[in-house]
Amino acid sequence: MTAPTTNASTETADLPSDAPPIPEGSTMVTVKIERYNPEVDDDLHWESYRIPALPSDRVLNLLHYIKWYIDGTLTFRRSCAHGVCGSDAMRINGVNRLACKVLMKDMFAKKGETTITVEPIKGLPVEKDLLVNMEPFFEAYKAIKPYLVATGNDPTRERIQSVAERERFDDTTKCILCAACTTSCPVYWSEGSYFGPAAIVNAHRFIFDSRDEAAEERLDILNDIDGVWRCRTTFNCTDACPRGIQVTKAIQEVKRALMFRRR
Amino acid sequence: MADIESHDYDVIVIGAGGAGLRAAIEARSHGLRTAVLCKSLFGKAHTVMAEGGIAAAMGNVNSGDNWQVHFRDTMRGGKFLNNWRMAELHATEAPQRVWELETYGALFDRTADGRISQRNFGGHEYPRLAHVGDRTGLELIRTLQQKVVSLQQADHAEHGDYEAGLRVFAEFTVTDLLLDGGRVAGTVGYWRESGRFVRLRAPAVVLATGGIGKSFKVTSNSWEYTGDGHALALRAGARLINMEFVQFHPTGMVWPPSVKGILVTESVRGDGGVLRDAAGRRFMFDYIPEVFKDSYADTPDEADRWYSDPDNNRRPPELLPRDEVARAINNEVKEGRGTPHGGVYLDVASRLSAEEIMRRLPSMHHQFKELADVDITSERMEVGPTCHYVMGGVEVDPDTAASSVPGLFAAGEVAGGMHGSNRLGGNSLSDLLVFGRRAGAGAAEYIAALGGEHPEVSEAAVTDAVNSALAPFEVTDTRGQENPYSLHAELQQVMNRLVGIIRDGAEMCSALEQLAEIRQRAARLAVPEGNRQFNPGWHLALDLRNMLAVSECVASAALRRTESRGGHTRDDHPSMNPKWRGTLLGCELRDGSVEVTEHPQPPMREDLMRLFSPEELGKYFTEEELAVVRTPS
Repeated sequence: MTAPTTNASTETADLPSDAPPIPEGSTMVTVKIERYNPEVDDDLHWESYRIPALPSDRVLNLLHYIKWYIDGTLTFRRSCAHGVCGSDAMRINGVNRLACKVLMKDMFAKKGETTITVEPIKGLPVEKDLLVNMEPFFEAYKAIKPYLVATGNDPTRERIQSVAERERFDDTTKCILCAACTTSCPVYWSEGSYFGPAAIVNAHRFIFDSRDEAAEERLDILNDIDGVWRCRTTFNCTDACPRGIQVTKAIQEVKRALMFRRR
Repeated sequence: MADIESHDYDVIVIGAGGAGLRAAIEARSHGLRTAVLCKSLFGKAHTVMAEGGIAAAMGNVNSGDNWQVHFRDTMRGGKFLNNWRMAELHATEAPQRVWELETYGALFDRTADGRISQRNFGGHEYPRLAHVGDRTGLELIRTLQQKVVSLQQADHAEHGDYEAGLRVFAEFTVTDLLLDGGRVAGTVGYWRESGRFVRLRAPAVVLATGGIGKSFKVTSNSWEYTGDGHALALRAGARLINMEFVQFHPTGMVWPPSVKGILVTESVRGDGGVLRDAAGRRFMFDYIPEVFKDSYADTPDEADRWYSDPDNNRRPPELLPRDEVARAINNEVKEGRGTPHGGVYLDVASRLSAEEIMRRLPSMHHQFKELADVDITSERMEVGPTCHYVMGGVEVDPDTAASSVPGLFAAGEVAGGMHGSNRLGGNSLSDLLVFGRRAGAGAAEYIAALGGEHPEVSEAAVTDAVNSALAPFEVTDTRGQENPYSLHAELQQVMNRLVGIIRDGAEMCSALEQLAEIRQRAARLAVPEGNRQFNPGWHLALDLRNMLAVSECVASAALRRTESRGGHTRDDHPSMNPKWRGTLLGCELRDGSVEVTEHPQPPMREDLMRLFSPEELGKYFTEEELAVVRTPS
């Protein structure tokens, strides 16, 4: 787990003069970022930055370092910075992660110098650097009617829901809509019309909510050609979920509900 | 500016957190065409970060709870500086807002009989916080987002247009409010994606922009918390009140440095966690202030009995209001009893079973495991104070959320008064819903009274706003250019070091001098590239104007208030003074500078005064103010 130590003083010639002093215990690493500025560049291209990293730094700290001290134009989303808002999903060393939740101590190379690659998530149009157009993702989310459909209760008192009924869909309410699952899915990459795991997770959240009355309607939507049957059970989505949601399992549960629906 | 993108709305809501979305839903329900403008993607607002719960006296867990008890707790927590009418409305309406949220679809943890469960929290006499594990804010924002989607789909079914009643402008920054003869006429802003400007006309604007935490170095707040609404209101001529009161949450992470400041929910203490010094001693028993001696246990035995028998024992002092706990931790560290990384220990591992910790505090377990490599089911957490919330904000009419500028409304953290000098945990989410709804209704009432006669947007004002926002691109002389990232870091240092948790007159004078210097240098802020598409340096340069303005308000008001109360502690004026309780400090812009003025607090209604014993009131009020309750009614 410990980082290989290097003699920082000989390695920092290319760091800017206004950068903060290199903290003790840090290691020089190379961060390779796929970049794109639509006003200047014809295409995506890689740029590398050699910077100091502490084992306790997160990849987000490294991106901030580059943005603050080396290239102020580096563009990415981030807001809460600890894995709740779901703004900074990106492809880090080839897998979808939230930059604010990847610790450097888990990233150092066993031998030789560490290089970390950072790319925008796949399957959505890149707008600038690590920032993609999230609109298609949110369109799929909206299409599954992501809201409680229920009648017969005056909004002056809560509905009764047992602890067990509430527990039934707990896992899928943890979704932060970061798109890490959907953009890790090979089916989504090749067929953008597929609803994708996140939309199905959010449908699951209502289909299995004892208070909801529109399960059949949602199942009809997901029975569509671009619905759950596209899933090839590769488990990329489950691996990618920063909230630990059993995404593939949720999709399977929706498939099962469709197979055994009483109509 | 004839070629600029333009829109007409009835109501513009700035901010898409809990207050903004509730205001927008309300405005639309009055048949008003409503726009929500937000800096981040829809659904990413700072509200998602709220963990512990939403305070509402539903009495589901302890039937002794009611709005009067909640009102009393809120006033005590704020050291009676609260706007009593806001505290009354909040306490009476919070249960309705929680039930309403449940009918919108929100998930809540449940009691054994299937009702919404409630948990203990600092300063609340009964278990009062409705919650979903420790991710309540996320569920609140997601539920309101879902409600917006459902309304848009209903509008589509009826009008063939999803955005007929409610449109969300995401990743959109508002740079200025537009006025017509002192009344709100609209806003100017730009799309972050393209950098293109937009003029929005509307007779009513609701500010719901949240807080100012990114002005401080160590903060639990999100990157969007740059005081935008506070600054927009100031520039439009509104008055901010209570800006000296900044809440430092007692428990932020202190290690490793890259996560310093990230929140550790108060639920850890609500569910049994205790604070210990480096030697393992529970130190909070040494810090129970005189005004709270009657309700807090002075021995660990009594404190521990309270969890199972709250009716016959006093509460553990770990559950004192946040200002008290934060000061205690600060003092322990200062006197050398802190942990190696300059915090104290928060221990839940020795108090609850591992299974119980995983069930009640899953996000905290995850957070410490992933970010600090600490397993909270077997190890202690290291924690220390972190800038968390600003009690100060736009002065509003309690019932309608209207500011002194006609057509300008404010709700949530950007509004001032509700929480007095210190907010209780859990009272923020309920504040968002209660006053978000009231702001939407207040805007509707205002528009109805206008009778179709809407203020006009002046072309010159739009041009001025655009030019002012583009100024950072005009600083092309490389000599003396300032980098927005560096200047922001300096501002954060000044505020943290000199206007932080413990304050002193001389230090704040020095802070004001340094802020003035930063302001001069901010005129030379240059943007690292020339184009406007998603230009992060430009965004920060504009945010920095706002952070500077609110920082000047905080420092100026804090210098003026020569007492200690709630989220304002003066080393040179350590006691609380009843004369200051009756005084609110207002901040306004005069010729571009912050001017602080004193205003009398409106006297509390007699029936509300009588909810407290004269002895308790005597600790806070002057003898003259008390005369009304000294005579039997």
